[in-house]
Amino acid sequence: MNGIHDLGGMHGFGPVVREKDEPVFHADWERRVFGLLTATLALRKWNIDEFRHAIERMGAAHYLESSYYEHWLHAIETLLIEKGVISRTELDAKIAELGKQEP
Amino acid sequence: MLKAEFVEEAVKHGGSTKREKRIKPKFKTGQKVRTRNLNPIGHTRLPRYVRGKLGVIHHDHGIFVFPDTNASGLGEKPQHVYSVRFEAKELWGAPGTGGGVIYIDLWDDYLEPALKRAKPKRVRK
Repeated sequence: MNGIHDLGGMHGFGPVVREKDEPVFHADWERRVFGLLTATLALRKWNIDEFRHAIERMGAAHYLESSYYEHWLHAIETLLIEKGVISRTELDAKIAELGKQEP
Repeated sequence: MLKAEFVEEAVKHGGSTKREKRIKPKFKTGQKVRTRNLNPIGHTRLPRYVRGKLGVIHHDHGIFVFPDTNASGLGEKPQHVYSVRFEAKELWGAPGTGGGVIYIDLWDDYLEPALKRAKPKRVRK
């Protein structure tokens, strides 16, 4: 699809910032999202190309404002719901529950 | 389910989409090709900036699952994937490209022989 993800040749995003000694993960939650994809792919409910397409189907503004592993998390949530593994209601309830635990 | 003994392999290498099948390649190394001008509403790994462009088959990687069909439940449709060499000038125009080249991995279904469009057939009405 001709979506916002297909950025090749677009101007206006500024220089590519290269980090020296870039870590694999910039935060612990990214490590968890990485593991989440490996674990959920093993359910065999979707394949890697469906996963990539789920990222591409993100809203354009949301895609640009969110980070690499946020894209992954969004796609995992989308597919878990679309494939009937969990419901939107269940996901929202869990987010609300965890939100209360935060200090 | 992902069993503990498979975790290391899965994390390090992921699941390969390479397929050990006997499928004839449509193109040979060194052959001139033109990318198709495809604009599917589903998933594709043919970037917009390389549609309808002339390139040369640099290397045949072997046979892989076709992402466009695999992403939408239409099957694996395994086919050859090539590293295709494009002149920067072909992709971005002459100024400022400095003779650079770019290699893009592309599937058989994204390509057609270069001559096909260079000599368009007359359309009878």
